[in-house]
Amino acid sequence: MSSSIYINSKNVFLDTVNSKDYVQLDRVSTIYQSLKDSIKKPLKMILLYGKPGTGKSMFLTKLYNDLSSSQVVHIYETPILDESEFYKTLAQDIFSTKYSGELNFTQFMKIVENSELGSIPVVLLDEAQLYSDVLMEKIRLISDTRTIKFVITLHKTEKEDLIAKEHFQTRIWESIELENASSAELKIYIQKKLMKANCFDSANMFTGKSVNKIYKLTNGNYRDTNKLLYALFDIYSAYDDSQQLSSIGTTQVSNKLIEMSAIHTGLINA
Amino acid sequence: MLNTRDLEERWLRYKIKSYIPHVIITISSLVIIAIISIFLNSGDKIEKTIVVNEKKVEQEIKQKIEPAPIKQKIVQVEKVIEEEPVKEKPIVLSKSTISSNDASLKLTPSLDFMKKMQHSSLPYYQEETQQQANLYNNSTNSAQVVEEVQDLDIEESVQASTMEEAPKTVTISRRNTKDDIRHIIKRFKKNNNPALSLFIAKKYYELGEYHKAYNYALITNEIDREIDASWIIFAKSLVKLNQKEMAIKTLKKYIENSHSSSAKILLEEIVSGKFK
Repeated sequence: MSSSIYINSKNVFLDTVNSKDYVQLDRVSTIYQSLKDSIKKPLKMILLYGKPGTGKSMFLTKLYNDLSSSQVVHIYETPILDESEFYKTLAQDIFSTKYSGELNFTQFMKIVENSELGSIPVVLLDEAQLYSDVLMEKIRLISDTRTIKFVITLHKTEKEDLIAKEHFQTRIWESIELENASSAELKIYIQKKLMKANCFDSANMFTGKSVNKIYKLTNGNYRDTNKLLYALFDIYSAYDDSQQLSSIGTTQVSNKLIEMSAIHTGLINA
Repeated sequence: MLNTRDLEERWLRYKIKSYIPHVIITISSLVIIAIISIFLNSGDKIEKTIVVNEKKVEQEIKQKIEPAPIKQKIVQVEKVIEEEPVKEKPIVLSKSTISSNDASLKLTPSLDFMKKMQHSSLPYYQEETQQQANLYNNSTNSAQVVEEVQDLDIEESVQASTMEEAPKTVTISRRNTKDDIRHIIKRFKKNNNPALSLFIAKKYYELGEYHKAYNYALITNEIDREIDASWIIFAKSLVKLNQKEMAIKTLKKYIENSHSSSAKILLEEIVSGKFK
């Protein structure tokens, strides 16, 4: 195998949020379908939560790409922390109303009430845990008008889970949890990802044993897996350049190199 | 570009670290197993050693008890004993041959020590003397050996005769006693010592010649009337010569004069009939 294959394989696992890189897994597909169905329902707000690296951002990007062709969808991957700026951005994107000065909640609500939109626009807010509680409460009030539908993603940590429950449990909202992949899902994820980029030889290197090793290190976290495999193919590329691959072998992924990449990425503290 | 060397070093340290607990666990488990096995086997070994020791003891006892080696020893001893007379034969032959050749030679060294050794020693030592004799035979002076062998034969015959006539030694002693009495009578006639006459009387009394004992006791009394033993022998001889009343009268008279306790005891024994 030439070093270009390892470089290509390495680039597959670059930590980027691109809907084209979305890998369809059975369980993930089911969740995604349920999310799409929820958007069709007359729900005010949909909560998508899960641990970091479980694919929330990817889900949101994928949903945006899929819905943008059929309805008005706006995605905000980076939180707009300033309240006035947040209202001004929404007024411009959804209602095409430019506002030069400060825009407060009352002024924005007047714009919403005077609007004549044919369909309910969908606003996708990523990293919603960064919004202040006051703003989150105002977002809830906006959604109560049923003029804008919000899909928000939250990191689910122990503390954040409690906050999420306190904020949203009393409201009639759909909440979908994303989880880490299982070992089998991880194997499919890696191989599908590599095969999408035509790296078939690299995909064949991942046997059950090597994927189990990766699963033990990453615990099925997609982001950690991407990081690990990026480092792994980086090391493969380096070994290939220094012509040391013969001592390691290329038929299957070397456990030594997996451990080395885990050390490099900080998954193993050595 | 990754620094793979650094990564490999870090990986090696990581592997060593990760193996340490495994190594510790395996070593500790091996040690525990070894201790347990030693503990368990110790009892068995003790039993085995006891059994082995018992077996050894039994074998030793058997070996000691087994008659085979003893028989062998006996056979060996017998062989040694049998061999000895066989070895004597060539000496005898040499005696005949050599003695006929050197009959004129009569000068012989003193071999009394050899005779003494042969008297006291077992046939085993005779072998040595025979070997020495052979040495002499091999040397120029063969006549000496001849004489020695002759001496051996004589002594053997003497030993045999003494062994056969062992009961006759009693008669010889009697003869010696009578000779002694004669010798003492000669001495008594020379110095007229009452002790000697009393000794003669006692000896005659022991020999059963009571009349002579009576006479010599009377002679002793005539020389010395105060010798207690002469009166007792005199009385005893009278009793033996059927002169019991005479003996009693004599003792009574003597007791009146001397108050001898031994005379009194004898008088009582004669009167009661204990002494006959």
